[in-house]
Amino acid sequence: MNIVELNQISKTYDTKVAVDALSLQIEAGKMFGLLGPNGAGKTSTIRMMIGITLPDSGSVTLFGQPFSRKNLTRVGYLPEERGLYKKMKVIDQLVFLGQLHGLDAATANSRSRQWCERLQILDAIDLKTEELSKGMQQKIQFISTLLHEPALIIMDEPFSGLDPVNTQLLQETLLELKNAGKAILFSTHRMDQVERLCDSICLVDGGKAVLSGGMREVKSRYPRNHVVIDFEGDNSFVNHPAVKEYKAFAGHVEIQLREGADAQDLLHAAFQNAKIYKFELMEPSLEEIFIQTVGRRANA
Amino acid sequence: MREALLVAKREYVERVRSKAFRISTIVIPLAFAAVIGMGAFSGKMATGPSNIVVASNDLVLAQSTRTELLRVPTAKDDARGSRRGPPQQLQVEVQAPVAESDLASLNHQVESKAIDGYLWLNVQPGQAVPQATYVSRGSADFFGADRMQTAIGEALVREALMNHGVASSQADGLLHDVDLKTRQVKGGEAVASDASKSFWGAYIMAFILYFSVVFYGMNVAHSVVAEKTSRVFEVLLATAKPESLMAGKLLGVGAAGLTQMAVWITAVLLLSASALGAELGQGGLAAYGVTPIQLVFLVLYFLLGFFFYSALSAGFGATVSQESEVQQFSMILVMPQLVGLILMVYILGNPSAWPVVLLSLFPPCTPIVMCLRMSAMVVPWWQLALSVVLMVAATYAVLWVASRIYRVGILMYGKRPTLPEMIRWLSYS
Repeated sequence: MNIVELNQISKTYDTKVAVDALSLQIEAGKMFGLLGPNGAGKTSTIRMMIGITLPDSGSVTLFGQPFSRKNLTRVGYLPEERGLYKKMKVIDQLVFLGQLHGLDAATANSRSRQWCERLQILDAIDLKTEELSKGMQQKIQFISTLLHEPALIIMDEPFSGLDPVNTQLLQETLLELKNAGKAILFSTHRMDQVERLCDSICLVDGGKAVLSGGMREVKSRYPRNHVVIDFEGDNSFVNHPAVKEYKAFAGHVEIQLREGADAQDLLHAAFQNAKIYKFELMEPSLEEIFIQTVGRRANA
Repeated sequence: MREALLVAKREYVERVRSKAFRISTIVIPLAFAAVIGMGAFSGKMATGPSNIVVASNDLVLAQSTRTELLRVPTAKDDARGSRRGPPQQLQVEVQAPVAESDLASLNHQVESKAIDGYLWLNVQPGQAVPQATYVSRGSADFFGADRMQTAIGEALVREALMNHGVASSQADGLLHDVDLKTRQVKGGEAVASDASKSFWGAYIMAFILYFSVVFYGMNVAHSVVAEKTSRVFEVLLATAKPESLMAGKLLGVGAAGLTQMAVWITAVLLLSASALGAELGQGGLAAYGVTPIQLVFLVLYFLLGFFFYSALSAGFGATVSQESEVQQFSMILVMPQLVGLILMVYILGNPSAWPVVLLSLFPPCTPIVMCLRMSAMVVPWWQLALSVVLMVAATYAVLWVASRIYRVGILMYGKRPTLPEMIRWLSYS
C-alpha cells in the first residue's frame, strides 16, 4: 500500500517556483530517499506532504485518503532545522511533544523513558536541553519523532552532526522500524547512506523530479562503465583507447570507460603485461549518478 | 483546541516555573515601592531649615510670626504643600526689637552654621506690610519660603484683628482653615471622595494597566522569536495548526500574567488588612476611589488590551528572525497607551469632553483612557458597552491578521519582510 502519494504538486513563492508538478509514492515497509542539491525543493515538498503549507495545485494522499490533518498524528517529522526548547527539561519536552501527537501524558512518559534507555541517553532525561551536547539533542529530537509510533516517518538529514557510533545506532533503529512495516522518507546529501539504506529514491532538482524509481532499477539505467583493477606490473593498459579517464594508485587503478567501449578489450590488453588480481566492472555509485544528473542540468 | 491547550499549558508552566517569573514577581512591586518612596523621601528632604531666628524691630509681629511658624499644620496646609514636616523639627528664636545695624552678628551666625537662617521683618512706619527678608546659606528654599510667607501673612492678620479689639481666641477661630470636603456623584449618590486619593487611584490603575499590557505583550513577542530562532516551530507545525500555536501562546502568557497580578493583588489586600496597611491605606482601595465595578473593568480591559496587543506582537514577532529586532516594533505597542498616560491630567479634568470620549472608544487607547475616565466620572453605560464591543471587534481583527502573518512569518528566515510582502502573506494558504 502507498502511504504517501504526491500527485503533480506545485508550489510557487512570489516568483520562485519551489516545486513544479512533482509526483512520488512511498510504500509501507520501505525506505525512500528524497535527494537533491540545496534549494532543489526537498523541504518544500516535505512541508506540503504534511500540511505545513498547502500546494498551489496537485493533490496529496496520506494513508490512502486525501490529506487530512487528523492523520498527522500518524506522521513523525524530524526537520532538518532542529528545534527544541532550550530551557525545558528533556523529559518534559518529550512528554509535551508526545502529547501534541495525541498521546496521553503517562504513555508519553513511559515511552520516552524506554526510548532514552534504548538510545543510551537515560542519564540526560532530567537535564535541561541546553545542557546537552549537539549529538544528544539530536537523539532527543529523533526520539520525539518516534514516540507516537508513526506509520510514516520523515527524517531530514537525521545523521548530521552524529559520530559514527551513534549514526550506526540510529541507522539500525530506522532499519528495524522499516522492517516493522513503517514507511520512511529519508532526505540527505550523503549518497553513501542512501545507497545503503534506501529501497527507492527520487532525485529532485529545480522543483522537478529528475530521476526516480527503485534503487536497483535506477542504477541499472546507467551503463556499467566503471572498472576497478588490482594488478602487479606494467600499467600501460591505462592508455588503451577504451579508457576515457583514470585514477592510478599503487597497484590499483580506477577507470572510466568511453561510451560504447568494451571492458573485455581492456581486460585483454591489461593481462598482456601485468598480473591481474582483480578486475571488476562496477555500476556507477549513486553519488556519480547524482553529480552526473544534477551537473548536466546545471550546465544546460 | 487540544493542541492550543497543550501549548498554553506548556507556556504557562514553563513561565511560572522560571526564575525570571519569580524575580519579576518580587522585584517589580519593589521597584514601584521604591519610586513612590523616593517621591515621599524627596518631599521630606525639602522641609527647609530647622533652626532659624526671627528678627524684627516689632516684637509683637516677631512673636506672632514665630507662633504661626510653629503651629501644627492642618490637612489643608498639607494638601497645599505649604507646611510640610513636623513642626517640632523647627526651632524658632525671636530677637526683637533689633535695628538693621544689628544684623551683622546674625549674618555671622548663619555663616558659622550656628543657625540655618534668619527672617528679618522690618516694619516701616506708615506701611501696613513689613519688609521681609530671609537670609540663609542656601540660595533658595522654596518650601521654607512658602511656609514663612504664610506665617507672616497670618501673623499680620492676627495683629490687625487684635488691634481692632478681636479676642485672641476669636482670631484663632477666624484664622482656622476651612476644611473643604469633596464629594463625587457615583451611581446617583454623592459619596465621599478625596480628590488627591482619587487621582492616585486612577494613576496607579492606569499605570498597572499600561505596564502589564506592554510587559506581557512583549513577552509574547520574545517567546515567538525564541521559538523561531530555536526552530521549534517546524516540529510543532508538523502536528499543530499555526492558529492553535498562537492561541495557546496568548492564553499561556496571559494566564501567567494574571497569576502574577493575582499574587500582587493578594499581597496588597494582605498588606491593607495589616496594621501597616491600615495606616497607609486608611480604608484600602475604596479610599482611593476604586470601586468594585472599576476593578471588574480593570480586569476586563486588561484582558482585552492584553489580547489586542499580544496578538499584534505575535504577528510582529513572527516577522523577525532575531531577538534584537523585537525592540524595533516595541514603540508601536507603547505609543497609543502612552498617549493616554501623557494626557492623563486633561482626561481626568475633562472626562466627558468629546475628544476624550472619542479617544476612549479608539480600541488601542480604550483600556487606559476608559480606566482614567471611570475614576473621574460615571461613564454612561452605552459608552462602556460600545468600547467593549469595539475592542472585541478590533481584537478579533488583529488576531485574524496576526495569525496569517504568523503562519507565513514563522517559517521565513533572513530578510525582514516589507509591508507589501506582509500584506501579500494575508492571502497565502
